[in-house]
Amino acid sequence: MQLIAEEALIDQLKNPETREKAFSVLLNTYKERLYWHIRRIVLNHDDADDVLQNTFIKVYRNIEGFKGDSKLYSWMYRIATNESLTFIKQRSKKSGITDEELKNRMVENLEADIYFEGSEIQMKLQQALATLPDKQKLVFNMKYYQEMKYEEISEVLETSVGALKTSYHLAVKKIEAYIKAD
Amino acid sequence: MGKKDKHNFKTPEGYFDSFNERLMQRLQSEEADEKLSFLPESDGFKTPTAYFEGVEENVLSKLTKKQPKVITLRPYRKYLYGATAVAAALILFFTLNLETESPVAFEDLASAEIDAYLENTELDLSSYELAELVSIEDVALTDVMDAPLESEKILDYLDENIDDIEELNLNFEDYE
Repeated sequence: MQLIAEEALIDQLKNPETREKAFSVLLNTYKERLYWHIRRIVLNHDDADDVLQNTFIKVYRNIEGFKGDSKLYSWMYRIATNESLTFIKQRSKKSGITDEELKNRMVENLEADIYFEGSEIQMKLQQALATLPDKQKLVFNMKYYQEMKYEEISEVLETSVGALKTSYHLAVKKIEAYIKAD
Repeated sequence: MGKKDKHNFKTPEGYFDSFNERLMQRLQSEEADEKLSFLPESDGFKTPTAYFEGVEENVLSKLTKKQPKVITLRPYRKYLYGATAVAAALILFFTLNLETESPVAFEDLASAEIDAYLENTELDLSSYELAELVSIEDVALTDVMDAPLESEKILDYLDENIDDIEELNLNFEDYE
């Protein structure tokens, strides 16, 4: 995952003279991975685009405060995760419904989404994922569809590898039960 | 290795010759197991054509967009606010002085009104603040829950809140 020399890039990002160029490198290196991470949480393309832009704006505005305790990519993934979950919370509050109701609506809306292939099994998978707690859903998507290693997920979610394996195991069991139920 | 091994055990013919091949086969089949047969190959999400090519431009244009200057409309409004505040203070002063009846007691409030207040007001109490207000002896699980706890819910709760659920040494089969 570490495609770019992080330390040098962080220095360039903190230096006003090199910031713009370094930010462009950062953006082009991570835009696709962060987009897919966000998209799998908010489901809709336009919402994912909004959240992705907000994520990069937050990264740009807060890079001065980045202490380097964690890796740059895991810091950005954390911002993307928080922005996505906050987006869902704000929208459910605005609509006067619970997060769970909103998540079910988001899945229903996929049926008419032109940027979703929408086969029967893909639809069922999304319905199954909507029944999982946030953490299990995150771990499952990051491991299975984003093909991240447990060590990388552990840095992003600040959870031990053992706990992540348990979450993944539980998520897979529940998804399997849901899909095979009918 | 040239020496004859000093033991009486035997292996099937060609065992060591085919060992590498069998090991590789097993590794490959384990990798294949990681792909779950009941799941679709792709989860079906797509993007508009050439979407990623425009992301940088969109982010940079948002970043460089200057904050619009705020122009105060109707500057006399602040005087109006001042006058309103004085009037409100005077009304409050006279109302309090004229009030001779006994003040409204907590008992006078209908429980429906209290319920409505609690429903519609965000109290924003943390669990620690709540714990300070209500003693643990006064709380039973049935006060807050209508249905009995399902073991799966307990497992999800522990998974969400305990850093390393494996340390609890749970037997997962009991919960499936």
